[in-house]
Amino acid sequence: MSTILEQIESQIAKLSSHAVKKNTGNIRTIADGVAKIDGLSDVMYNEMVQFPGGAIGIALNLETDEVGCVVLGDISQLKEGDEVTTTGKLLSVPVGKALLGRAVDALGNPVDGKGPIDAKETYPVEKIAPGIIVRKSVSQPLFTGIMAIDSMIPIGRGQRELIIGDRGTGKTTIAIDTIINQAKINKVGLASGDPKFRPVYSIYVAVGQKNSNIVRTIGALEAADAMQYTIIVAAAAADNPANQYIAPYSGAAMGEWFMENGMDALIVYDDLSKHAVAYRQISLILKRPSGREAYPGDVFYLHSRLLERAARLDGKGSLTALPIIETLAGDVSAYIPTNVISITDGQIFLETDLFNQGIRPAVSVGLSVSRVGSAAQIKATKQVGGKLKGELAQFRELAAFAQFGSDLDAKTKAQLDRGSRIVELFKQPAFNPILIETQVAVLFAMQKGFFDPIEVKKIVDAATSLKAFFTTRQEALLTEIRTKAALDKDLEAKLQAACEAWKSSYGA
Amino acid sequence: MAGHAKQAQQLARQLFKLSLVDGVVSAENVGGILAWVEKHRPANPLMVLKAYQRLVALELARGQVRVEHAGAISDHVLQSISAALAKKYGRPLAIAAQPNPALLAGLRVRVGDDIYESSAAGQLAALAAAL
Repeated sequence: MSTILEQIESQIAKLSSHAVKKNTGNIRTIADGVAKIDGLSDVMYNEMVQFPGGAIGIALNLETDEVGCVVLGDISQLKEGDEVTTTGKLLSVPVGKALLGRAVDALGNPVDGKGPIDAKETYPVEKIAPGIIVRKSVSQPLFTGIMAIDSMIPIGRGQRELIIGDRGTGKTTIAIDTIINQAKINKVGLASGDPKFRPVYSIYVAVGQKNSNIVRTIGALEAADAMQYTIIVAAAAADNPANQYIAPYSGAAMGEWFMENGMDALIVYDDLSKHAVAYRQISLILKRPSGREAYPGDVFYLHSRLLERAARLDGKGSLTALPIIETLAGDVSAYIPTNVISITDGQIFLETDLFNQGIRPAVSVGLSVSRVGSAAQIKATKQVGGKLKGELAQFRELAAFAQFGSDLDAKTKAQLDRGSRIVELFKQPAFNPILIETQVAVLFAMQKGFFDPIEVKKIVDAATSLKAFFTTRQEALLTEIRTKAALDKDLEAKLQAACEAWKSSYGA
Repeated sequence: MAGHAKQAQQLARQLFKLSLVDGVVSAENVGGILAWVEKHRPANPLMVLKAYQRLVALELARGQVRVEHAGAISDHVLQSISAALAKKYGRPLAIAAQPNPALLAGLRVRVGDDIYESSAAGQLAALAAAL
């Protein structure tokens, strides 16, 4: 017995006395989160390198006689001449359900003061996106809870839908609403005990935002009890650009874990304009050649390789991406917006004018599109809202035309009346997503003309009253819509009767 | 300024290549190059010489084995280390030993950028990092 143990111990002793090889270099210059290093002759592209004091870096520029690294973490203690060591590893972040409900930095370290995260696995931050064979077409809906989007610009699981607009037009609000709606659906679905129900977990990546905004977002999610299904990855404006550059990839790695393990996840990149700016800063300090608007040549690849990681995998789960882009004065033809528009499967364009007119969410129906189309819609929504986009587009055209003339024929007037009612109906307060079954009921009432006798100014009140009526008094009917996901004659009759009942009570 | 630095780097690299004889820095060639620089005064001579010095220093470090040891070390061990590394790197290596009590026990061998750590201090540091 003891001989066997001695044998093992001697083997261990032999192994542990083996010399450990390290490849080292020395910091030559360090500025703005980027270090130029002499040596590191064995370093690989994107390899993690270890700086003194626990800071880590990523080798991004491999040159003839120096290596350019971005430093993640505190650089204040680093100085010229410090020794840097290769690790032979790619940068990885913790992944798994242990991260749900937590706020972490770009490296997956907790920043919410709730103690360490007990994550069992790590995933590399940079990963090649799934190929063609393993993908499946997007056909399952991902409900945002925003009526204007779910009925006209439907989003599917595994889709990449861009949210684009000027500052202060409600881009983040749409993303937060979507996260809150997933939490609402998860609660209902998990409580129902349906074995086929697939919850959606959310990841919100804040890049270059004010800390106060991130706190506000977390507050909104906590108030809606949505944090239990959400991970926040924060790389605030005060973080160094390297952390801001890495954060979306870290979030994608966390989302990929859900996707690879047969679950569905939603990731919001808020926002990729600031991400591109952080990457431009790094690239300029690394002395990479600059191109249009001083962005480096690979700024398209920066976003394409990130967004390609969102997918629906055959036999596994999905990762849906909602990147956000901030435009300047509504200019969607700027460099970064056009890049991201071309990468994504559609965009939700938010207009400042609509926002200022009080039409919130300020979704521009003409410029917004979902390239997945109705494949990601349930039949019930198609039945009640299939023609809405066309009607609204006609309304906008006629409304512009009607400004020049006072005499309108009856048909045009009816179209204008209906359009203005639809616009009012789609108004929705922030952080108040509506479940799809309620949306179907409201759109059914609109389609059947229950809002026609109501004054346009009172449509919002009437819609609120109808929603309250359905959620408090017609819960069984809503459950039936949710489970059937299509309106048959029986369900239509029940809806008609319910709407009649609401009409009589509302009018009274 | 950036253009000057690039030009100086390029010239320093050319001068460095001329300093090598059979892949090893030749003192004679280095002397000749320094004389040439003094005589012809290329643009930004200080920049050129600094870049040249850096390249030569890196090359010299690549050709030298520095053995740090905690206890006594015999010439035989040093020679065997030098021979093994010369075989590995495929070039002749000069050896220099230096006592370093901070290692507690064992050796640390440095060849250019590579460090081979087989010391008690190194193992303790690895253990501390793993905790």
